[in-house]
Amino acid sequence: MNIIEIQGLTKDYVNNGFSVPAVRGINVQVGAGEFTAIAVPSGSGKTTLLNIIGGLDRPTAGLVRVGGSDLSGMDARQLSDLRLRKIGFIFQAYNLIPVLSAVENVEYVLLLQGVSRVERRRRSEAILREVGLEKEINRLPREMSGGQQQRVAVARAIVSEPDIVLADEPTANLDQKTGESLLDLMHGLNRSKGITFLFSTHDPMVMERADRLINLKDGRILSDEVRGKKRAGTKTAKQAKTTKASRGKTAGRR
Amino acid sequence: MILIKLSWRNLWRHRRRSLVVITSVSLGIFAMILSMAFINGMNEQMVENTISTSLGHVAIHGFGYQKNMKLQNSFSPGRDISDALEGDRDVLGYAPRVKVKGMIRSSESSRGVIVVGIDPGRERKISRIDEYTSRDEGSGFLDDPSADEVLISRVLAKKLDLVVGDKLVLMIQDRENQIVGVGMTVRGVFQTPIETFDKFVVFAGLHKLQEITGLGDRLSEYTILVKDRNAVDRIRDDLIGRIGRKGLEVLSWKDMAPNLVSAIKLFDSMMYIFFGIIFLTVVFSIANTLIMAIMERFHELGVMKSIGTRPSWIFLLIMLEALQLGFVGLMLGVAAGWVTAGILNITGIDLSFYKESMRVWGTGSLIYPTIKSMDILVASLIVLMTTVLAALYPATRAARIKPLEALNYL
Repeated sequence: MNIIEIQGLTKDYVNNGFSVPAVRGINVQVGAGEFTAIAVPSGSGKTTLLNIIGGLDRPTAGLVRVGGSDLSGMDARQLSDLRLRKIGFIFQAYNLIPVLSAVENVEYVLLLQGVSRVERRRRSEAILREVGLEKEINRLPREMSGGQQQRVAVARAIVSEPDIVLADEPTANLDQKTGESLLDLMHGLNRSKGITFLFSTHDPMVMERADRLINLKDGRILSDEVRGKKRAGTKTAKQAKTTKASRGKTAGRR
Repeated sequence: MILIKLSWRNLWRHRRRSLVVITSVSLGIFAMILSMAFINGMNEQMVENTISTSLGHVAIHGFGYQKNMKLQNSFSPGRDISDALEGDRDVLGYAPRVKVKGMIRSSESSRGVIVVGIDPGRERKISRIDEYTSRDEGSGFLDDPSADEVLISRVLAKKLDLVVGDKLVLMIQDRENQIVGVGMTVRGVFQTPIETFDKFVVFAGLHKLQEITGLGDRLSEYTILVKDRNAVDRIRDDLIGRIGRKGLEVLSWKDMAPNLVSAIKLFDSMMYIFFGIIFLTVVFSIANTLIMAIMERFHELGVMKSIGTRPSWIFLLIMLEALQLGFVGLMLGVAAGWVTAGILNITGIDLSFYKESMRVWGTGSLIYPTIKSMDILVASLIVLMTTVLAALYPATRAARIKPLEALNYL
């Protein structure tokens, strides 16, 4: 089952009257339970791609489905609900709410989903224990290290059991050891709970640990590999254009 | 609950700024309550002084007397009136009066006055003229309603150069429209808190004045004090029904002193202008603080929206922050205002420096601020509504933040 389906995705930005392409005709599918990294040099469109998948930005052309829902027909409120119920976000700069404690930050998402107070607290504490923060649950973000804050962010992203977690360079602000430990955590959650992760990164360590690695350059997919093996049918928009017959059959399954 | 917690904690991220706003709101409320209490006290004393010196709460006149204070509009007392008044549980006391325009003349000068004939024993029960009468230098209240004696005010005594025991000539028009001049002795000197009253009113014995004017036992009015001043309209209407005699008019103090009622309305209007200024301060300080807070938290609000917070929740969050700011300021201001006004209600505010001005208003120079619960309630509601109003724009702006734009804003 595919969690994400992208067909012919194009995004252009208009700058000083000139159209600047950020993403050019990408076709990709991400299946349930994948642990996928999008590897990019800076400015190659990975943030744009993640923003579009996350319903934060709209494509110029193409189709994007998340958890079976077509994003193109959704208004702001529907997109907000989609982000709340189907997507978990992990940001490079953690982005916790500074005045809420670790457990309250995690609870917040469940509050938005209308989960009862007792249940919220129970699930949030359990997930914080799972990410190794049982002693920090009542600490404010400023009282925690970067690694701990990012673990809270992971807990916040997965507490509502979303279809997919989108992580924008989650290790970029962490030292190698902390980054590695965070990656272990996320990989463990992927394995134990079957949570689908989609990262953007230019950290070789993250690329190495990913089960699937999609290389983006200048808004196009250069390669799509599963554990060292090139995925069958992977093609760029240019290739797709010239080979109409194979359109939409990109990205195989793990 | 998390939203309330979140908004409360957000307030204290900039402790000093929130404290400044809370202080300005509470100072505004404090000033508002104090000024309200002060104006209430002034109004109350103005009314009380007028009632206790001249009007009473309710008066019974001959028909047409209110418009034309002539002796022809007098009436005969009777059992119908006294039975109605004595049988009324709302009535505290009543006293007969004769009022006539005239002139008093001393060897130095003369003044146009209103001469009020009173029964001293009964007058004590319904007015405070006895209390206002000096007991120094032989001065005292009238004893005998038939004596050739008058009470004059301190200000008249000074203008006419009279002291207790001096003679003066009282000139009035009798019932037959003949001018009558009678020599009277100054029995006492009084001073009320109302300057205009003191300038124009002289008291004489009721029977003496009836004799001079040829009224016989006829009266200009019965002045009535009731137990509950707020019920005067009902009591007036009851009395009209109970007395039943034609040719009489029963009036409340509001009917008799429309100028006083207008003055109170004027004071109240002035107070609302003052409140308007305070509310503007509240609006701008809260709106300004919230706009600054939103600009500072632009990125954070974007994060909140990107993880699925609906615009309505962001709106609610900002409104809660505003309401908490306003509420804390309101509570502090109300508490401070209530306590201060309560203390001043006991000690009074001494405005002796402006004694003469205060006498023009008829309030007395010691003002006792009075708080009304309804005023506090109305002020609180208005402040909270103003707060909501002030927060509408910033909250709407925050709710409309585009998450992507905000995420890129650092």
